[in-house]
Amino acid sequence: MPKNKRSTSLAILAASAVLGAMALTGCAGGHTANVGKTSDGILRIPREDTATFTSNFNPFSPTALPMTDQAVFEPLLIVNPMTGKAVPWLGKSWTVDSNGKGVTFTLRSDVKWSDGQPMTAADVVSTFTLAKKIQGGYSYLSKVSAVNPSTVRFDFNKAYSPGLYEIGAQVIVPEHVWSKVSDPAKFTNANPVGTGPYTKVSHFQTQSYELDKNPNYWQPQKQQINGIEMLAFAGNSGANLAFENGDVDWSDQFIPSIQKSYVSKDPAHRKFWYPATGGTIQWQLNTTKAPFNDVNVRKALSMAVDRNQVATLGESGYTHPADCTGLTDGYASWKDASIVNSCDWTKLNVAEANKMLDAAGYPRGANGIRSLKSGKPFAFSISVGSASSDWISVAQVIAKNMQAIGVQLTVSSPDWSQVVDSYSKGTFDTGIVWTNAATTPYEFYRGEMSQDSVVPVGTPANEDYHRFGDAQATALLNQMAATSDPATQKTIVNELQARFKATAPAIPLFPSPVWGAYSEQNFTGWPTAADPYATLSARSSTTTLVLTSLKPVK
Amino acid sequence: MRFLLRRLGFYLIAFWACITLNFFLPRLMPGDPVSRMFAQVQTQMRPDQIAALRQLFGLTDKPVWQQYLDYIGNIFRGNMGISLSRFPTPVSSVISSEIGWTLLLGATSLVIAVVLGNLLGIMAAWRRGRFLDSVFPPLLVFVGSFPYFWLAMAALYLFGIVLGWFPLNHAFTDGVEASWSFSYVADVANHLVLPALTIVLVSIGGWMLGMRNTMIATTAEDYITMARAKGLRSGRIMFHYAARNAMLPSITSFGMSLGFVVGGALLTETVFAYPGIGYQLLNSVQALDYPLTQGIFLTITTAVLAANFLVDIIYVRLDPRVRVS
Repeated sequence: MPKNKRSTSLAILAASAVLGAMALTGCAGGHTANVGKTSDGILRIPREDTATFTSNFNPFSPTALPMTDQAVFEPLLIVNPMTGKAVPWLGKSWTVDSNGKGVTFTLRSDVKWSDGQPMTAADVVSTFTLAKKIQGGYSYLSKVSAVNPSTVRFDFNKAYSPGLYEIGAQVIVPEHVWSKVSDPAKFTNANPVGTGPYTKVSHFQTQSYELDKNPNYWQPQKQQINGIEMLAFAGNSGANLAFENGDVDWSDQFIPSIQKSYVSKDPAHRKFWYPATGGTIQWQLNTTKAPFNDVNVRKALSMAVDRNQVATLGESGYTHPADCTGLTDGYASWKDASIVNSCDWTKLNVAEANKMLDAAGYPRGANGIRSLKSGKPFAFSISVGSASSDWISVAQVIAKNMQAIGVQLTVSSPDWSQVVDSYSKGTFDTGIVWTNAATTPYEFYRGEMSQDSVVPVGTPANEDYHRFGDAQATALLNQMAATSDPATQKTIVNELQARFKATAPAIPLFPSPVWGAYSEQNFTGWPTAADPYATLSARSSTTTLVLTSLKPVK
Repeated sequence: MRFLLRRLGFYLIAFWACITLNFFLPRLMPGDPVSRMFAQVQTQMRPDQIAALRQLFGLTDKPVWQQYLDYIGNIFRGNMGISLSRFPTPVSSVISSEIGWTLLLGATSLVIAVVLGNLLGIMAAWRRGRFLDSVFPPLLVFVGSFPYFWLAMAALYLFGIVLGWFPLNHAFTDGVEASWSFSYVADVANHLVLPALTIVLVSIGGWMLGMRNTMIATTAEDYITMARAKGLRSGRIMFHYAARNAMLPSITSFGMSLGFVVGGALLTETVFAYPGIGYQLLNSVQALDYPLTQGIFLTITTAVLAANFLVDIIYVRLDPRVRVS
């Protein structure tokens, strides 16, 4: 009995001690809450998709930490999707062979690695050897060779001029470090040596780390900020809260009703900019299944979609309806105005849609539902991943729109992994999906209507899930890859747009915006609609441009 | 002793069943880790990189039974493999970097909730119908039935943003180096208050109500009347005669909860951006990161079974009836 008494009082003692400590620290804690507001020249950025950080600055790793490709390592050139122009970076200049069968890059001669050694053509050559071995891809690249210490020659095994941008975007790693690594694929590179502006890792902790200035940076006048601090958050809500509270400077995750929740608290400093230059979001129809192999059916379904409503719901109203070229605002300079102005099947026209379906041989039954040529009712499903609540609303609107033309559409929203699996194997009916986004429209159209990207149902596809191939478009794409002349490429892209309009491979809904918001409290020089030198994304190649343009407020 | 050995045998079988389920459940989910990763980053990955990634991750086409044998062998060698969503970090280091925070948050809030809840329950039953008994149980059950997410957000908004008493996120101030100094410990405690407080708030009602109800039954027993007749002090009867016997169900639930602490507190971690296993588990399941999912499930299974075994041992000490049967 006495033993038991002691343990009871011990428990009470422990409980009151803990409570006491909580109360004490609670009183003392008031002043630490807004620590981020002090201006120490450190740029603070939240990351909403990871609760904790694990050290990994290996740019070849699919799970590399944020800022590995943006602040630590740099590419040969950086393409600004807002203007479509390439900014020379580690590569001073380049020429594409006129037949599209190779590229030659001239490197800057003043670039040093953060450990002081000069960067040369040998580094570039070894980088591509590593990238091919670890990441795969670059199947068109037959040989990379150093012509002299400042010139690199890339030979292709086929005409493939879009390769310039893919090669140009590859970040370069130092040969003298990586040649000593026994298994580069599993190398975590905890103390990276790079050419980027912020390469020195400090204060690496479970939920935050800091990148400090590279002492040997080749553009020291552009290292205005003292360092970058990344903060981990398990989900958008925590990251948004830290941003709204002013604890971080720059945030590129989605923030609902940003004007009210963020900007209105300090309109003089707080801004956002959501250009619609991401990828096109589309409603894809499985063209291996009847009736989606009929172009008139695809066009009729598209004409029944109320795109204004879809765009309002789709990305919380920060986008606009897509047109019948399928291209986003990022390809504004490529768009053929005469095609855009004559778009018919991306405009809401229920009467015409009904007429087209009647003419195509899908008669309405007594219950108002059309029937297929097989006699079955015109009913199918639209898939979308359960995590994308915005897109589920879009699917519901489309389902409702379809009633007006006697088509029965059921929304199916299991987990994305299941949805993507059905896309990849070609077993789906229809579904909402993203599309390829790259520097030129080449990749987008390849993923929409190239015969070369079509694989049979059952074989996993990585693009062109809707399995549509058009002979003319394939020929045009091949022609485009075989020329480096911008004027010729422009003409070909015009013809591709016309082909897209004629064949309606999929139903474009809206371009997705690139999220981004910032506070000018501590830093100025952000990209804006008036000065679109980059997007406000903190995880794309243009991020390097932002990091080297920001200036701390004195 | 024979009782404990029999229990041990039961736990070994339960353990085998659990690790077998751990192996098969993630593999029954559709898709594979690489296409999942591809879906997540959407356009940022080039389609032609997928094959190389499969190879890098070592996703082989070995028959399932062979993978299963490898897996069992690795478990007994203590090798949980390499995480795919955090490639190339070993599963054991991913878990060990987060388990400390999970244990700190879970154990602190569980101990506070159990001790306070049981004390309140004892008091309420002892003075039935008085203030404590009539106000607290309905109040705490009311608070406890709030959606946790909402309660946590409200607490964060009130104490973190409006009043500014507590930090909004993370387990300690970013950039501060870990040490055993007073300021660091105070910083950690300060960051722990809100997450722990909200968990205590929603769980304490259950502990109080459970204890109160068993306690009421015990106070009606003859030996309590006997103790009163002997003229023992009221406090002594309350704790040593009534509460001691009413404790048993609470001990069982405590043991169970102790095991589940290892699973982390997903919602708390999300709202307060607190590091821990819960969010990691969600992430690894979504990413189809088989090795990490298995590793975390294995940790949880082991912890739950170990905690139950511990409770069994304590029971032998506390309840003589168990020894006899």
